[in-house]
Amino acid sequence: MEESNIEKTDQLVSRAIFAAAEFQQFNQQQTDKVVEAVYKAGLNARISLAKMAVEETGMGIWEHKVWKNVIGTQLVYESIKNEKTVGVISDDPVTGITEIAQPLGPIFAVTPVTNPTSTAMYKILIALKTRNPIIISAHRGAAKCTAEAARICYEAALAAGAPEDCIQVIPSGSRDFTQMVMAHPKIALILATGGTGLVKAAYSSGNPAIGVGPGNVPVFIDESADIPFAVSNILSSKTFDNGTICASEQSIVVIDKIEQKVREEFEKQHCYFLKPDEIKKVEKIALIEETMTMNPMVVGQSVDTIAKKAGITVTEGTKILLAKLSGVGKGFPLSHEVLAPILAFYSCINYNAAINLCLDLNYLGGIGHSAGIYANDEKVIMEFSQLINAGRIVVNTPTSQGAVGGTFNLLVPSLTLGCGTGGKNITTENITARHLINVQRVCRRRINHKFMDANKEKYFDESCNEAVLTLEYHKNH
Amino acid sequence: MLQSDYNKSEKVLSCAFDGHLDTNSCILINNELNANIDIIKSADETAALSETKIIFDMKGVSYIASSFIRICVSTARQLPKGHFSMINCDPFIKKTFIIAGLDELLKVN
Repeated sequence: MEESNIEKTDQLVSRAIFAAAEFQQFNQQQTDKVVEAVYKAGLNARISLAKMAVEETGMGIWEHKVWKNVIGTQLVYESIKNEKTVGVISDDPVTGITEIAQPLGPIFAVTPVTNPTSTAMYKILIALKTRNPIIISAHRGAAKCTAEAARICYEAALAAGAPEDCIQVIPSGSRDFTQMVMAHPKIALILATGGTGLVKAAYSSGNPAIGVGPGNVPVFIDESADIPFAVSNILSSKTFDNGTICASEQSIVVIDKIEQKVREEFEKQHCYFLKPDEIKKVEKIALIEETMTMNPMVVGQSVDTIAKKAGITVTEGTKILLAKLSGVGKGFPLSHEVLAPILAFYSCINYNAAINLCLDLNYLGGIGHSAGIYANDEKVIMEFSQLINAGRIVVNTPTSQGAVGGTFNLLVPSLTLGCGTGGKNITTENITARHLINVQRVCRRRINHKFMDANKEKYFDESCNEAVLTLEYHKNH
Repeated sequence: MLQSDYNKSEKVLSCAFDGHLDTNSCILINNELNANIDIIKSADETAALSETKIIFDMKGVSYIASSFIRICVSTARQLPKGHFSMINCDPFIKKTFIIAGLDELLKVN
């Protein structure tokens, strides 16, 4: 069995390497032709793929998955189409430095169950734009729709002249096989989007990896905020595809002074505050007690479905369930990330207490991911932003759409959001094409006269301290 | 695209390639090359390919598809180790074989 997996892995990676070898001969024009063809094919298939994804995974709302597919194709394409990714990408005659882009080689991409087709198409586009072949490993719960998205992209790529095997999909189901591919020495980069276990496996593989895991997004509504606007935006984000985006709001934090107004606004906009006994019931189905991780049973489900599973009654048309909590972490399951229309709600005695609570939430499984703030006081916005550990602090904007970028702000559209070292990532940026190239720098001779003209003997004189050497270095000859 | 010459006394098949070797042209190249190899096999059944050397001259080649890499690998695998080689490779083509991890196996020069 293991022999067979070794052979399968070698064959798969060999095909990708051959594709990489051919691909590196492409110029920018040939590369862009392929990317354009794939983008068009992916965008044209947005509706059928969205419906397939919802049918297969049983998660989310197909109309919203259409939008995700649009983000993964059109918005991503528009953000990368004019980018130089082949050959000389910059040339500065003043510094004498010329930058040359080189492809990385085969990319192993893991795609999630929550955003399957959109993530696959986005990863394919940024891989092809950088002349890297891609091997996709789909979540087993979304294997068919992901494979279909990849097939559509591959056929379009081939028709536009792309190398054979520039897009491959591995069958889902075998964890051993996936890990063998991940660890294959010829894999240039792992681009993993998914749960903690998967991201850890990517980083443990020995290959370079960009692994983006879970978030736990706190949102602070300051007293300076426009409350109806804030609530309306939170709803549009948390209800988007039934809350399946990892940048979706998880907790709302306010100060006591505005609590009542915020509660009334949520209720006015068809949300429901759970009673204490109902919170217990929802907790039981929303999280797995032993691990305090979200239960796949509720991920991407509607409020009606969650209410039925929990055995509670809610008015028809309820958009979000809110649970007022008094603490974070142990004893408060709903303070953890749940990708469903459920929100934790906190009210604190004052501003400092509220920000401290946001920090606790931020560090409860969501370090480096995303956070949100509604405020019209720039001082508050900046103070919150400097305290919170998040790659994206989204201001007066729905966090799902805001963090993904391309719609409510000028962040680079992406379905893989870097979480910095806190999330064990090398970057906090939204991952895009420029993360998938090796940049070589041609460095022409430009003498540093400050150093070259300094009296070198002073550097070997024990009596010359830092002050003397600083003066020597900056001497105006 | 492909010009071949078999030196029977020295048992060397020389194949000179030219131009842009994309996927479509590789289909023709593969057929033509196999036909040449079949002739060698039928001409000298006892030795078969065990004593034959095949040289790919890449002097006029500006681009190779992955299909051509497969042709090289498949051809080399029919011969004893070291009997397949490539000459006159443009550096960009040599780099392609390096990336494919085949420069040593295929003796790319």
